[in-house]
Amino acid sequence: MSQGSGMSASTMRAIVVGDRERWIKLVMFFCASVSFLGVLMIFLFIFRESLPAISKVGIRQLFLSTDWRPKSGHYGMLAFTFGTLFTTAVAMIIAAPLGIGAAIFIDQVAPEKVGRSVRRVIELLAGIPSVVIGWFALILLVPFIRNLTGSSGFGMGAASLVLVVMSLPTITTLSAESLKAVPTELKEASAAMGATRWQSIYKIIMPSAREGLMIAVILGMGRAIGETMAVQMVIGNASQATASLVQPGSTLPTRIVQDMGEASGVFRSALFAQALMLLLISVFLVVFIRLISRKRKGE
Amino acid sequence: MDWRPSKRSSAAATCVAILLAVTAVAAGCGGQAQKQAAGGRVKASGSTTVLPIAQEAAVEYGDANRGVRVDVQGGGSSVGINQLIQGIVDIGMSSRDLNPDEVGKGLVNHNIAFDIIAIVINPSMPVTNLSDAQITAIFTGKVKNWKELGGPDKQIVVVVRDQASGTREIFDKRALGATDTRVVETVPSAIQCSSNGVMREIVGTTPNAIGYISFGYVNKRLKAISFNGVAPTVADAATGRYPIARFLHLFTKGEAKGVAKGYIDFVLSDKFQTEIVAREYVKMKDVKTP
Repeated sequence: MSQGSGMSASTMRAIVVGDRERWIKLVMFFCASVSFLGVLMIFLFIFRESLPAISKVGIRQLFLSTDWRPKSGHYGMLAFTFGTLFTTAVAMIIAAPLGIGAAIFIDQVAPEKVGRSVRRVIELLAGIPSVVIGWFALILLVPFIRNLTGSSGFGMGAASLVLVVMSLPTITTLSAESLKAVPTELKEASAAMGATRWQSIYKIIMPSAREGLMIAVILGMGRAIGETMAVQMVIGNASQATASLVQPGSTLPTRIVQDMGEASGVFRSALFAQALMLLLISVFLVVFIRLISRKRKGE
Repeated sequence: MDWRPSKRSSAAATCVAILLAVTAVAAGCGGQAQKQAAGGRVKASGSTTVLPIAQEAAVEYGDANRGVRVDVQGGGSSVGINQLIQGIVDIGMSSRDLNPDEVGKGLVNHNIAFDIIAIVINPSMPVTNLSDAQITAIFTGKVKNWKELGGPDKQIVVVVRDQASGTREIFDKRALGATDTRVVETVPSAIQCSSNGVMREIVGTTPNAIGYISFGYVNKRLKAISFNGVAPTVADAATGRYPIARFLHLFTKGEAKGVAKGYIDFVLSDKFQTEIVAREYVKMKDVKTP
Protein backbone atom coordinates (compact mmCIF):
# COMPACT_ATOMS: atom_id res chain seq x y z
CA MET A 1 0.00 0.00 0.00
CA SER A 2 2.82 2.39 0.83
CA GLN A 3 4.06 2.04 -2.74
CA GLY A 4 0.81 3.46 -4.15
CA SER A 5 1.07 6.67 -2.10
CA GLY A 6 3.05 8.38 -4.88
CA MET A 7 0.49 7.68 -7.60
CA SER A 8 -2.87 9.23 -8.25
CA ALA A 9 -5.98 7.14 -7.64
CA SER A 10 -6.84 6.89 -11.34
CA THR A 11 -3.43 5.55 -12.32
CA MET A 12 -3.83 2.93 -9.61
CA ARG A 13 -7.19 1.88 -10.99
CA ALA A 14 -5.80 1.70 -14.50
CA ILE A 15 -3.03 -0.62 -13.35
CA VAL A 16 -5.46 -2.80 -11.42
CA VAL A 17 -7.85 -3.01 -14.38
CA GLY A 18 -4.96 -3.74 -16.73
CA ASP A 19 -3.78 -6.49 -14.41
CA ARG A 20 -7.22 -7.96 -14.22
CA GLU A 21 -7.56 -7.91 -18.01
CA ARG A 22 -4.30 -9.75 -18.32
CA TRP A 23 -5.34 -12.33 -15.73
CA ILE A 24 -8.67 -12.97 -17.35
CA LYS A 25 -6.93 -13.38 -20.70
CA LEU A 26 -4.54 -15.89 -19.14
CA VAL A 27 -7.34 -17.86 -17.50
CA MET A 28 -9.33 -18.00 -20.73
CA PHE A 29 -6.23 -19.03 -22.65
CA PHE A 30 -5.66 -21.76 -20.09
CA CYS A 31 -9.25 -23.01 -20.47
CA ALA A 32 -8.93 -23.09 -24.23
CA SER A 33 -5.61 -24.93 -24.15
CA VAL A 34 -6.89 -27.52 -21.72
CA SER A 35 -9.77 -28.49 -24.01
CA PHE A 36 -7.61 -28.30 -27.12
CA LEU A 37 -4.79 -30.33 -25.61
CA GLY A 38 -7.30 -32.77 -24.15
CA VAL A 39 -8.70 -33.58 -27.56
CA LEU A 40 -5.22 -33.76 -29.04
CA MET A 41 -4.05 -36.10 -26.28
CA ILE A 42 -7.02 -38.42 -26.79
CA PHE A 43 -6.20 -38.66 -30.48
CA LEU A 44 -2.51 -39.27 -29.89
CA PHE A 45 -3.11 -41.73 -27.07
CA ILE A 46 -5.62 -43.84 -28.99
CA PHE A 47 -3.35 -43.81 -32.03
CA ARG A 48 -0.31 -44.79 -29.99
CA GLU A 49 -2.17 -47.57 -28.18
CA SER A 50 -3.44 -49.04 -31.43
CA LEU A 51 0.00 -49.06 -33.06
CA PRO A 52 1.04 -52.51 -31.70
CA ALA A 53 -2.06 -54.09 -33.25
CA ILE A 54 -1.57 -52.25 -36.53
CA SER A 55 2.05 -53.36 -36.80
CA LYS A 56 1.53 -56.93 -35.56
CA VAL A 57 -1.79 -57.78 -37.18
CA GLY A 58 -1.52 -55.60 -40.26
CA ILE A 59 -3.96 -53.00 -41.54
CA ARG A 60 -5.73 -55.45 -43.84
CA GLN A 61 -6.23 -58.12 -41.20
CA LEU A 62 -7.20 -55.57 -38.59
CA PHE A 63 -9.54 -53.19 -40.39
CA LEU A 64 -10.74 -55.16 -43.42
CA SER A 65 -11.33 -58.62 -41.99
CA THR A 66 -14.45 -59.97 -40.28
CA ASP A 67 -12.43 -62.70 -38.57
CA TRP A 68 -12.64 -61.91 -34.84
CA ARG A 69 -11.16 -64.72 -32.78
CA PRO A 70 -8.97 -62.97 -30.22
CA LYS A 71 -7.89 -66.22 -28.54
CA SER A 72 -6.29 -67.48 -31.73
CA GLY A 73 -4.87 -64.11 -32.73
CA HIS A 74 -7.43 -62.93 -35.27
CA TYR A 75 -8.51 -59.37 -34.63
CA GLY A 76 -10.56 -58.37 -37.69
CA MET A 77 -13.00 -55.59 -36.77
CA LEU A 78 -14.94 -55.26 -40.02
CA ALA A 79 -17.94 -57.13 -38.58
CA PHE A 80 -18.24 -54.49 -35.85
CA THR A 81 -17.60 -51.52 -38.14
CA PHE A 82 -20.33 -52.95 -40.33
CA GLY A 83 -22.55 -53.49 -37.29
CA THR A 84 -22.09 -49.85 -36.27
CA LEU A 85 -22.87 -48.50 -39.73
CA PHE A 86 -25.71 -50.96 -40.33
CA THR A 87 -27.59 -50.36 -37.07
CA THR A 88 -27.07 -46.61 -37.48
CA ALA A 89 -28.33 -46.69 -41.07
CA VAL A 90 -31.43 -48.70 -40.14
CA ALA A 91 -32.05 -46.37 -37.21
CA MET A 92 -31.75 -43.31 -39.46
CA ILE A 93 -34.15 -44.76 -42.04
CA ILE A 94 -36.74 -44.84 -39.27
CA ALA A 95 -35.69 -41.88 -37.14
CA ALA A 96 -35.12 -39.30 -39.91
CA PRO A 97 -38.70 -39.30 -41.29
CA LEU A 98 -40.08 -39.66 -37.77
CA GLY A 99 -37.99 -36.82 -36.37
CA ILE A 100 -38.49 -34.47 -39.31
CA GLY A 101 -42.20 -35.33 -39.34
CA ALA A 102 -42.45 -34.51 -35.65
CA ALA A 103 -40.54 -31.27 -36.27
CA ILE A 104 -42.97 -30.27 -39.03
CA PHE A 105 -45.85 -31.02 -36.69
CA ILE A 106 -44.30 -28.96 -33.92
CA ASP A 107 -43.37 -25.99 -36.08
CA GLN A 108 -45.99 -25.90 -38.81
CA VAL A 109 -49.07 -27.97 -38.05
CA ALA A 110 -49.81 -27.99 -34.35
CA PRO A 111 -51.28 -25.06 -32.45
CA GLU A 112 -48.47 -23.26 -30.65
CA LYS A 113 -49.30 -24.64 -27.20
CA VAL A 114 -49.58 -28.24 -28.35
CA GLY A 115 -46.38 -27.93 -30.39
CA ARG A 116 -44.51 -26.57 -27.42
CA SER A 117 -45.61 -29.37 -25.09
CA VAL A 118 -44.80 -32.06 -27.67
CA ARG A 119 -41.38 -30.49 -28.01
CA ARG A 120 -40.82 -30.47 -24.26
CA VAL A 121 -41.68 -34.17 -24.04
CA ILE A 122 -39.29 -35.04 -26.86
CA GLU A 123 -36.56 -32.98 -25.22
CA LEU A 124 -37.22 -34.91 -22.03
CA LEU A 125 -36.51 -38.10 -23.96
CA ALA A 126 -32.98 -36.79 -24.54
CA GLY A 127 -32.46 -36.61 -20.80
CA ILE A 128 -33.28 -40.25 -20.09
CA PRO A 129 -30.02 -42.08 -19.34
CA SER A 130 -29.16 -44.66 -21.97
CA VAL A 131 -28.95 -47.47 -19.44
CA VAL A 132 -32.61 -46.89 -18.60
CA ILE A 133 -33.60 -47.03 -22.25
CA GLY A 134 -31.48 -50.17 -22.66
CA TRP A 135 -33.10 -51.91 -19.72
CA PHE A 136 -36.52 -50.91 -20.91
CA ALA A 137 -35.69 -52.39 -24.35
CA LEU A 138 -34.29 -55.55 -22.76
CA ILE A 139 -37.51 -56.15 -20.86
CA LEU A 140 -40.09 -55.05 -23.43
CA LEU A 141 -38.56 -54.85 -26.91
CA VAL A 142 -36.49 -58.04 -26.91
CA PRO A 143 -39.36 -60.35 -25.83
CA PHE A 144 -41.61 -58.58 -28.33
CA ILE A 145 -39.21 -59.30 -31.20
CA ARG A 146 -38.71 -62.84 -29.89
CA ASN A 147 -42.43 -63.59 -29.94
CA LEU A 148 -42.86 -61.91 -33.30
CA THR A 149 -40.04 -63.67 -35.13
CA GLY A 150 -39.23 -66.82 -33.14
CA SER A 151 -35.61 -65.68 -32.87
CA SER A 152 -33.77 -64.94 -29.65
CA GLY A 153 -34.96 -61.33 -29.81
CA PHE A 154 -31.45 -60.03 -29.32
CA GLY A 155 -29.93 -58.57 -32.44
CA MET A 156 -29.42 -55.81 -34.94
CA GLY A 157 -33.14 -54.98 -35.11
CA ALA A 158 -33.50 -54.41 -31.37
CA ALA A 159 -30.30 -52.35 -31.39
CA SER A 160 -31.52 -50.22 -34.30
CA LEU A 161 -34.81 -49.50 -32.55
CA VAL A 162 -32.95 -48.45 -29.42
CA LEU A 163 -30.87 -46.10 -31.56
CA VAL A 164 -34.07 -44.62 -33.02
CA VAL A 165 -35.12 -43.67 -29.51
CA MET A 166 -31.66 -42.31 -28.71
CA SER A 167 -31.36 -40.14 -31.81
CA LEU A 168 -34.96 -38.98 -32.13
CA PRO A 169 -34.70 -36.01 -29.74
CA THR A 170 -31.61 -34.65 -31.49
CA ILE A 171 -33.17 -34.94 -34.93
CA THR A 172 -36.54 -33.50 -33.89
CA THR A 173 -35.32 -30.47 -31.97
CA LEU A 174 -32.66 -29.51 -34.51
CA SER A 175 -35.09 -30.00 -37.41
CA ALA A 176 -37.71 -27.87 -35.69
CA GLU A 177 -35.03 -25.23 -35.17
CA SER A 178 -34.07 -25.16 -38.83
CA LEU A 179 -37.72 -25.11 -39.95
CA LYS A 180 -38.31 -22.14 -37.69
CA ALA A 181 -35.36 -20.36 -39.30
CA VAL A 182 -37.06 -20.35 -42.72
CA PRO A 183 -37.94 -16.67 -43.43
CA THR A 184 -41.60 -15.84 -42.78
CA GLU A 185 -41.75 -14.00 -46.14
CA LEU A 186 -41.26 -17.29 -47.97
CA LYS A 187 -44.12 -18.92 -46.07
CA GLU A 188 -46.36 -15.91 -46.61
CA ALA A 189 -45.48 -15.67 -50.31
CA SER A 190 -46.25 -19.35 -50.76
CA ALA A 191 -49.60 -18.98 -49.03
CA ALA A 192 -50.36 -15.88 -51.08
CA MET A 193 -49.79 -17.85 -54.29
CA GLY A 194 -52.61 -20.12 -53.23
CA ALA A 195 -50.50 -23.07 -52.08
CA THR A 196 -52.11 -25.39 -49.56
CA ARG A 197 -50.36 -25.92 -46.25
CA TRP A 198 -48.98 -29.28 -47.40
CA GLN A 199 -47.71 -27.74 -50.66
CA SER A 200 -45.99 -24.97 -48.73
CA ILE A 201 -44.32 -27.43 -46.39
CA TYR A 202 -43.28 -29.84 -49.10
CA LYS A 203 -42.28 -27.42 -51.87
CA ILE A 204 -41.06 -24.31 -50.02
CA ILE A 205 -40.23 -24.83 -46.37
CA MET A 206 -38.50 -28.21 -46.49
CA PRO A 207 -36.28 -27.40 -49.49
CA SER A 208 -35.16 -24.13 -47.97
CA ALA A 209 -34.40 -25.85 -44.64
CA ARG A 210 -32.71 -28.74 -46.40
CA GLU A 211 -29.17 -28.22 -45.08
CA GLY A 212 -30.44 -27.73 -41.56
CA LEU A 213 -32.44 -30.94 -41.75
CA MET A 214 -29.41 -32.81 -43.05
CA ILE A 215 -27.27 -31.52 -40.21
CA ALA A 216 -29.99 -32.59 -37.76
CA VAL A 217 -29.94 -36.12 -39.13
CA ILE A 218 -26.13 -36.29 -39.16
CA LEU A 219 -25.92 -35.12 -35.54
CA GLY A 220 -28.52 -37.76 -34.72
CA MET A 221 -26.25 -40.27 -36.44
CA GLY A 222 -23.35 -39.10 -34.31
CA ARG A 223 -25.44 -39.80 -31.24
CA ALA A 224 -26.32 -43.24 -32.56
CA ILE A 225 -22.81 -44.27 -33.60
CA GLY A 226 -21.30 -43.77 -30.17
CA GLU A 227 -24.15 -45.26 -28.15
CA THR A 228 -22.78 -48.08 -26.05
CA MET A 229 -24.73 -49.14 -22.98
CA ALA A 230 -28.24 -49.39 -24.33
CA VAL A 231 -27.09 -51.15 -27.48
CA GLN A 232 -24.89 -53.59 -25.62
CA MET A 233 -27.86 -54.76 -23.60
CA VAL A 234 -29.93 -55.79 -26.61
CA ILE A 235 -27.61 -56.51 -29.54
CA GLY A 236 -26.46 -59.95 -28.34
CA ASN A 237 -22.73 -59.19 -28.66
CA ALA A 238 -22.03 -61.93 -31.17
CA SER A 239 -18.90 -61.57 -33.28
CA GLN A 240 -20.47 -62.31 -36.67
CA ALA A 241 -21.16 -59.84 -39.46
CA THR A 242 -24.83 -59.98 -40.28
CA ALA A 243 -27.35 -57.88 -42.11
CA SER A 244 -30.25 -59.80 -40.59
CA LEU A 245 -32.33 -57.81 -38.14
CA VAL A 246 -33.02 -60.85 -35.94
CA GLN A 247 -29.41 -62.07 -35.72
CA PRO A 248 -27.13 -61.00 -32.86
CA GLY A 249 -24.09 -58.90 -33.70
CA SER A 250 -21.86 -56.18 -32.27
CA THR A 251 -20.99 -52.57 -32.88
CA LEU A 252 -17.56 -51.05 -32.28
CA PRO A 253 -18.49 -49.48 -28.91
CA THR A 254 -20.24 -52.61 -27.62
CA ARG A 255 -17.29 -54.79 -28.59
CA ILE A 256 -14.89 -52.46 -26.81
CA VAL A 257 -16.91 -52.37 -23.61
CA GLN A 258 -17.55 -56.11 -23.72
CA ASP A 259 -13.90 -57.09 -23.99
CA MET A 260 -11.86 -54.29 -22.42
CA GLY A 261 -12.06 -55.73 -18.91
CA GLU A 262 -9.24 -58.24 -19.08
CA ALA A 263 -7.83 -57.70 -22.55
CA SER A 264 -4.07 -57.31 -22.65
CA GLY A 265 -1.28 -57.05 -25.20
CA VAL A 266 -2.30 -57.13 -28.86
CA PHE A 267 -5.92 -57.88 -27.91
CA ARG A 268 -6.08 -54.64 -25.92
CA SER A 269 -4.37 -52.77 -28.71
CA ALA A 270 -6.85 -54.16 -31.23
CA LEU A 271 -9.66 -52.70 -29.10
CA PHE A 272 -7.89 -49.33 -29.24
CA ALA A 273 -7.73 -49.70 -33.02
CA GLN A 274 -11.51 -50.12 -32.91
CA ALA A 275 -11.73 -46.91 -30.89
CA LEU A 276 -9.58 -45.26 -33.57
CA MET A 277 -11.99 -46.47 -36.25
CA LEU A 278 -14.92 -45.10 -34.28
CA LEU A 279 -13.11 -41.79 -33.90
CA LEU A 280 -12.46 -41.65 -37.64
CA ILE A 281 -16.14 -42.23 -38.37
CA SER A 282 -17.08 -39.36 -36.03
CA VAL A 283 -14.45 -37.08 -37.56
CA PHE A 284 -15.81 -37.90 -40.99
CA LEU A 285 -19.32 -36.90 -39.83
CA VAL A 286 -18.07 -33.63 -38.36
CA VAL A 287 -16.18 -32.78 -41.57
CA PHE A 288 -19.31 -33.60 -43.53
CA ILE A 289 -21.34 -31.19 -41.40
CA ARG A 290 -18.71 -28.46 -41.93
CA LEU A 291 -18.96 -28.95 -45.67
CA ILE A 292 -22.74 -28.68 -45.62
CA SER A 293 -22.70 -25.56 -43.42
CA ARG A 294 -20.06 -23.93 -45.63
CA LYS A 295 -22.13 -24.64 -48.69
CA ARG A 296 -25.13 -23.06 -47.01
CA LYS A 297 -23.16 -19.95 -46.12
CA GLY A 298 -21.74 -19.76 -49.64
CA GLU A 299 -25.19 -19.63 -51.20
CA MET B 1 9.00 -49.17 -31.87
CA ASP B 2 9.17 -46.29 -29.47
CA TRP B 3 5.83 -46.81 -27.80
CA ARG B 4 7.00 -49.73 -25.70
CA PRO B 5 9.14 -47.94 -23.13
CA SER B 6 6.70 -45.06 -22.81
CA LYS B 7 3.80 -47.45 -22.37
CA ARG B 8 5.66 -49.19 -19.62
CA SER B 9 6.52 -45.93 -17.96
CA SER B 10 2.94 -44.73 -18.09
CA ALA B 11 1.85 -48.01 -16.55
CA ALA B 12 4.45 -47.50 -13.88
CA ALA B 13 3.20 -43.97 -13.34
CA THR B 14 -0.33 -45.28 -12.92
CA CYS B 15 0.86 -47.84 -10.39
CA VAL B 16 2.69 -45.16 -8.46
CA ALA B 17 -0.41 -42.94 -8.54
CA ILE B 18 -2.62 -45.75 -7.28
CA LEU B 19 -0.11 -46.62 -4.58
CA LEU B 20 0.07 -43.00 -3.49
CA ALA B 21 -3.72 -42.77 -3.37
CA VAL B 22 -4.00 -45.98 -1.38
CA THR B 23 -1.33 -44.82 1.04
CA ALA B 24 -3.04 -41.48 1.43
CA VAL B 25 -6.36 -43.12 2.20
CA ALA B 26 -4.72 -45.53 4.60
CA ALA B 27 -2.88 -42.72 6.36
CA GLY B 28 -6.12 -40.76 6.57
CA CYS B 29 -8.32 -43.35 8.17
CA GLY B 30 -6.01 -45.99 9.56
CA GLY B 31 -3.92 -43.99 11.98
CA GLN B 32 -5.83 -45.08 15.03
CA ALA B 33 -6.22 -48.62 13.80
CA GLN B 34 -2.51 -49.20 13.43
CA LYS B 35 -2.00 -48.82 17.14
CA GLN B 36 -4.47 -51.60 17.85
CA ALA B 37 -3.23 -54.22 15.44
CA ALA B 38 0.10 -53.75 13.79
CA GLY B 39 0.08 -54.97 10.19
CA GLY B 40 -3.71 -55.22 10.21
CA ARG B 41 -3.88 -54.79 6.45
CA VAL B 42 -3.94 -57.52 3.89
CA LYS B 43 -4.05 -57.19 0.12
CA ALA B 44 -5.70 -59.68 -2.21
CA SER B 45 -6.04 -59.71 -5.98
CA GLY B 46 -6.98 -62.09 -8.75
CA SER B 47 -9.96 -63.86 -10.26
CA THR B 48 -13.06 -61.84 -11.04
CA THR B 49 -15.09 -64.98 -10.29
CA VAL B 50 -13.85 -65.03 -6.71
CA LEU B 51 -13.92 -61.23 -6.43
CA PRO B 52 -17.59 -60.82 -5.33
CA ILE B 53 -17.21 -63.37 -2.53
CA ALA B 54 -13.83 -62.00 -1.46
CA GLN B 55 -15.17 -58.45 -1.42
CA GLU B 56 -18.20 -59.38 0.64
CA ALA B 57 -15.93 -61.25 3.05
CA ALA B 58 -13.52 -58.32 3.24
CA VAL B 59 -16.32 -55.95 4.23
CA GLU B 60 -17.85 -58.30 6.79
CA TYR B 61 -14.49 -59.33 8.22
CA GLY B 62 -13.42 -55.69 8.43
CA ASP B 63 -16.67 -54.77 10.20
CA ALA B 64 -16.31 -57.57 12.71
CA ASN B 65 -12.67 -56.84 13.53
CA ARG B 66 -11.75 -53.26 14.34
CA GLY B 67 -8.51 -52.07 12.80
CA VAL B 68 -8.31 -54.84 10.25
CA ARG B 69 -8.51 -54.11 6.56
CA VAL B 70 -8.56 -56.41 3.56
CA ASP B 71 -8.12 -54.68 0.18
CA VAL B 72 -9.45 -56.76 -2.68
CA GLN B 73 -8.78 -56.22 -6.38
CA GLY B 74 -9.70 -58.04 -9.59
CA GLY B 75 -7.40 -58.60 -12.54
CA GLY B 76 -7.79 -62.29 -13.30
CA SER B 77 -6.46 -65.50 -11.78
CA SER B 78 -3.03 -65.24 -13.43
CA VAL B 79 -2.54 -61.68 -12.26
CA GLY B 80 -3.40 -62.63 -8.69
CA ILE B 81 -1.05 -65.61 -8.60
CA ASN B 82 1.78 -63.63 -10.20
CA GLN B 83 1.39 -60.76 -7.77
CA LEU B 84 1.37 -63.23 -4.90
CA ILE B 85 4.61 -64.82 -6.12
CA GLN B 86 6.17 -61.38 -6.47
CA GLY B 87 5.01 -60.46 -2.98
CA ILE B 88 2.83 -57.54 -4.11
CA VAL B 89 -0.25 -59.07 -2.49
CA ASP B 90 -0.75 -61.39 0.47
CA ILE B 91 -3.58 -63.45 -0.99
CA GLY B 92 -4.02 -64.57 -4.60
CA MET B 93 -7.58 -65.34 -5.68
CA SER B 94 -7.90 -67.93 -8.40
CA SER B 95 -10.62 -69.83 -10.19
CA ARG B 96 -8.14 -72.37 -11.57
CA ASP B 97 -5.44 -74.69 -10.23
CA LEU B 98 -1.81 -73.65 -10.37
CA ASN B 99 -0.16 -73.91 -13.77
CA PRO B 100 2.98 -76.10 -13.97
CA ASP B 101 5.23 -73.00 -13.91
CA GLU B 102 3.53 -71.72 -10.77
CA VAL B 103 4.00 -74.92 -8.77
CA GLY B 104 6.96 -75.11 -6.41
CA LYS B 105 6.97 -71.42 -5.52
CA GLY B 106 5.79 -72.14 -2.00
CA LEU B 107 2.15 -71.29 -2.59
CA VAL B 108 -0.39 -72.83 -0.25
CA ASN B 109 -3.88 -73.58 -1.51
CA HIS B 110 -7.12 -72.91 0.36
CA ASN B 111 -10.26 -74.13 -1.40
CA ILE B 112 -13.12 -71.83 -0.51
CA ALA B 113 -15.98 -72.95 -2.75
CA PHE B 114 -16.91 -75.52 -5.36
CA ASP B 115 -18.31 -74.31 -8.65
CA ILE B 116 -20.26 -76.70 -10.85
CA ILE B 117 -21.08 -75.43 -14.31
CA ALA B 118 -24.34 -76.77 -15.63
CA ILE B 119 -25.25 -76.91 -19.30
CA VAL B 120 -28.69 -75.36 -19.45
CA ILE B 121 -31.47 -75.15 -22.01
CA ASN B 122 -34.93 -73.68 -22.00
CA PRO B 123 -37.41 -76.00 -20.19
CA SER B 124 -39.56 -76.13 -23.33
CA MET B 125 -36.85 -78.09 -25.17
CA PRO B 126 -37.31 -81.90 -24.77
CA VAL B 127 -33.58 -82.77 -24.89
CA THR B 128 -32.22 -84.14 -21.56
CA ASN B 129 -28.72 -85.39 -22.35
CA LEU B 130 -25.94 -84.40 -24.75
CA SER B 131 -22.58 -86.01 -25.33
CA ASP B 132 -19.30 -84.11 -25.36
CA ALA B 133 -19.16 -84.52 -29.16
CA GLN B 134 -22.65 -83.04 -29.50
CA ILE B 135 -21.85 -80.15 -27.15
CA THR B 136 -18.68 -79.36 -29.09
CA ALA B 137 -20.61 -79.52 -32.38
CA ILE B 138 -23.26 -77.13 -31.03
CA PHE B 139 -20.87 -74.57 -29.54
CA THR B 140 -18.55 -74.55 -32.54
CA GLY B 141 -21.45 -74.19 -34.94
CA LYS B 142 -21.28 -77.56 -36.71
CA VAL B 143 -24.76 -78.49 -35.53
CA LYS B 144 -27.24 -75.66 -36.00
CA ASN B 145 -30.65 -77.29 -35.53
CA TRP B 146 -32.29 -79.04 -32.58
CA LYS B 147 -33.67 -81.58 -35.07
CA GLU B 148 -30.21 -83.16 -35.32
CA LEU B 149 -30.21 -83.72 -31.55
CA GLY B 150 -33.64 -85.25 -31.26
CA GLY B 151 -35.46 -81.98 -30.68
CA PRO B 152 -37.93 -80.00 -32.79
CA ASP B 153 -36.98 -78.36 -36.11
CA LYS B 154 -35.69 -75.15 -34.52
CA GLN B 155 -32.47 -73.22 -34.99
CA ILE B 156 -30.16 -73.47 -31.98
CA VAL B 157 -29.42 -70.17 -30.21
CA VAL B 158 -25.99 -70.57 -28.64
CA VAL B 159 -25.26 -68.38 -25.62
CA VAL B 160 -21.72 -68.04 -24.25
CA ARG B 161 -19.93 -65.93 -21.65
CA ASP B 162 -17.49 -63.10 -22.35
CA GLN B 163 -13.79 -63.65 -23.08
CA ALA B 164 -12.70 -62.74 -19.55
CA SER B 165 -15.09 -65.13 -17.84
CA GLY B 166 -13.63 -67.90 -15.67
CA THR B 167 -16.83 -69.87 -16.24
CA ARG B 168 -16.18 -69.74 -19.96
CA GLU B 169 -12.60 -70.83 -19.49
CA ILE B 170 -13.53 -73.93 -17.51
CA PHE B 171 -16.39 -74.76 -19.88
CA ASP B 172 -14.13 -74.44 -22.93
CA LYS B 173 -11.59 -76.74 -21.30
CA ARG B 174 -13.77 -79.41 -19.74
CA ALA B 175 -16.67 -79.51 -22.19
CA LEU B 176 -15.18 -78.36 -25.50
CA GLY B 177 -11.73 -79.89 -25.02
CA ALA B 178 -9.69 -76.70 -25.17
CA THR B 179 -6.21 -76.70 -23.64
CA ASP B 180 -3.72 -73.96 -22.91
CA THR B 181 -2.19 -74.51 -26.33
CA ARG B 182 -5.28 -75.55 -28.28
CA VAL B 183 -7.96 -72.89 -28.54
CA VAL B 184 -11.56 -73.87 -29.30
CA GLU B 185 -13.44 -70.94 -30.82
CA THR B 186 -17.17 -70.79 -30.32
CA VAL B 187 -19.48 -70.05 -33.24
CA PRO B 188 -19.45 -66.33 -34.24
CA SER B 189 -23.24 -66.09 -34.11
CA ALA B 190 -23.24 -66.99 -30.40
CA ILE B 191 -24.81 -64.42 -28.10
CA GLN B 192 -22.26 -63.22 -25.57
CA CYS B 193 -23.31 -62.19 -22.10
CA SER B 194 -21.23 -60.87 -19.27
CA SER B 195 -22.74 -62.50 -16.18
CA ASN B 196 -24.52 -65.57 -14.85
CA GLY B 197 -27.62 -63.45 -14.29
CA VAL B 198 -27.87 -62.37 -17.91
CA MET B 199 -27.24 -65.95 -19.02
CA ARG B 200 -30.21 -67.14 -16.95
CA GLU B 201 -32.35 -64.34 -18.34
CA ILE B 202 -31.56 -65.19 -21.98
CA VAL B 203 -31.75 -68.98 -21.78
CA GLY B 204 -34.78 -68.82 -19.50
CA THR B 205 -36.75 -66.71 -21.96
CA THR B 206 -35.51 -68.00 -25.33
CA PRO B 207 -37.10 -71.36 -26.29
CA ASN B 208 -34.23 -72.49 -28.57
CA ALA B 209 -31.30 -71.39 -26.43
CA ILE B 210 -28.46 -73.40 -24.92
CA GLY B 211 -25.84 -72.02 -22.55
CA TYR B 212 -23.91 -72.76 -19.39
CA ILE B 213 -24.15 -71.30 -15.92
CA SER B 214 -22.87 -71.69 -12.36
CA PHE B 215 -24.89 -74.36 -10.58
CA GLY B 216 -26.21 -71.96 -7.95
CA TYR B 217 -28.07 -70.01 -10.61
CA VAL B 218 -30.09 -72.93 -11.94
CA ASN B 219 -33.77 -72.56 -11.07
CA LYS B 220 -37.06 -73.66 -12.56
CA ARG B 221 -36.69 -71.27 -15.48
CA LEU B 222 -33.77 -73.35 -16.74
CA LYS B 223 -33.31 -77.03 -17.45
CA ALA B 224 -29.89 -78.41 -16.55
CA ILE B 225 -29.12 -81.33 -18.85
CA SER B 226 -26.78 -84.28 -18.42
CA PHE B 227 -23.34 -84.27 -19.98
CA ASN B 228 -22.29 -87.68 -21.32
CA GLY B 229 -25.14 -89.17 -19.32
CA VAL B 230 -24.11 -87.64 -15.99
CA ALA B 231 -26.32 -85.00 -14.39
CA PRO B 232 -24.64 -82.01 -12.73
CA THR B 233 -24.94 -82.97 -9.08
CA VAL B 234 -22.69 -82.14 -6.17
CA ALA B 235 -21.90 -85.81 -5.59
CA ASP B 236 -20.89 -86.55 -9.18
CA ALA B 237 -18.99 -83.31 -9.57
CA ALA B 238 -17.00 -83.96 -6.40
CA THR B 239 -15.87 -87.36 -7.64
CA GLY B 240 -15.11 -85.98 -11.07
CA ARG B 241 -17.72 -88.07 -12.88
CA TYR B 242 -19.30 -84.78 -13.93
CA PRO B 243 -16.21 -82.99 -15.22
CA ILE B 244 -17.30 -79.36 -15.69
CA ALA B 245 -16.54 -78.21 -12.16
CA ARG B 246 -13.76 -76.52 -10.27
CA PHE B 247 -12.73 -75.24 -6.91
CA LEU B 248 -12.33 -71.55 -6.21
CA HIS B 249 -9.07 -70.90 -4.42
CA LEU B 250 -7.33 -68.45 -2.17
CA PHE B 251 -3.56 -68.88 -2.35
CA THR B 252 -1.05 -67.65 0.21
CA LYS B 253 2.73 -67.68 0.09
CA GLY B 254 3.60 -70.15 2.80
CA GLU B 255 1.04 -71.04 5.46
CA ALA B 256 -1.44 -68.24 6.07
CA LYS B 257 -0.85 -66.28 9.25
CA GLY B 258 -2.12 -63.22 11.04
CA VAL B 259 -4.87 -61.26 9.35
CA ALA B 260 -4.66 -63.35 6.16
CA LYS B 261 -5.35 -66.49 8.18
CA GLY B 262 -8.21 -64.83 10.03
CA TYR B 263 -9.70 -63.69 6.74
CA ILE B 264 -9.48 -67.13 5.10
CA ASP B 265 -10.95 -68.76 8.24
CA PHE B 266 -13.76 -66.24 8.05
CA VAL B 267 -14.45 -67.14 4.40
CA LEU B 268 -14.58 -70.81 5.43
CA SER B 269 -16.75 -70.17 8.50
CA ASP B 270 -20.16 -71.84 8.55
CA LYS B 271 -21.98 -68.53 8.65
CA PHE B 272 -20.24 -67.02 5.63
CA GLN B 273 -20.35 -70.25 3.63
CA THR B 274 -24.08 -70.61 4.19
CA GLU B 275 -25.06 -66.99 3.75
CA ILE B 276 -22.83 -65.89 0.90
CA VAL B 277 -20.99 -68.75 -0.79
CA ALA B 278 -24.04 -71.04 -1.06
CA ARG B 279 -25.93 -68.39 -3.00
CA GLU B 280 -23.90 -69.19 -6.11
CA TYR B 281 -21.64 -72.11 -5.37
CA VAL B 282 -21.47 -75.34 -3.40
CA LYS B 283 -20.32 -74.96 0.21
CA MET B 284 -17.00 -76.60 1.04
CA LYS B 285 -18.76 -78.65 3.72
CA ASP B 286 -20.99 -80.28 1.12
CA VAL B 287 -18.10 -81.38 -1.07
CA LYS B 288 -16.84 -84.80 -0.11
CA THR B 289 -13.77 -85.50 -2.16
CA PRO B 290 -12.91 -89.19 -2.25
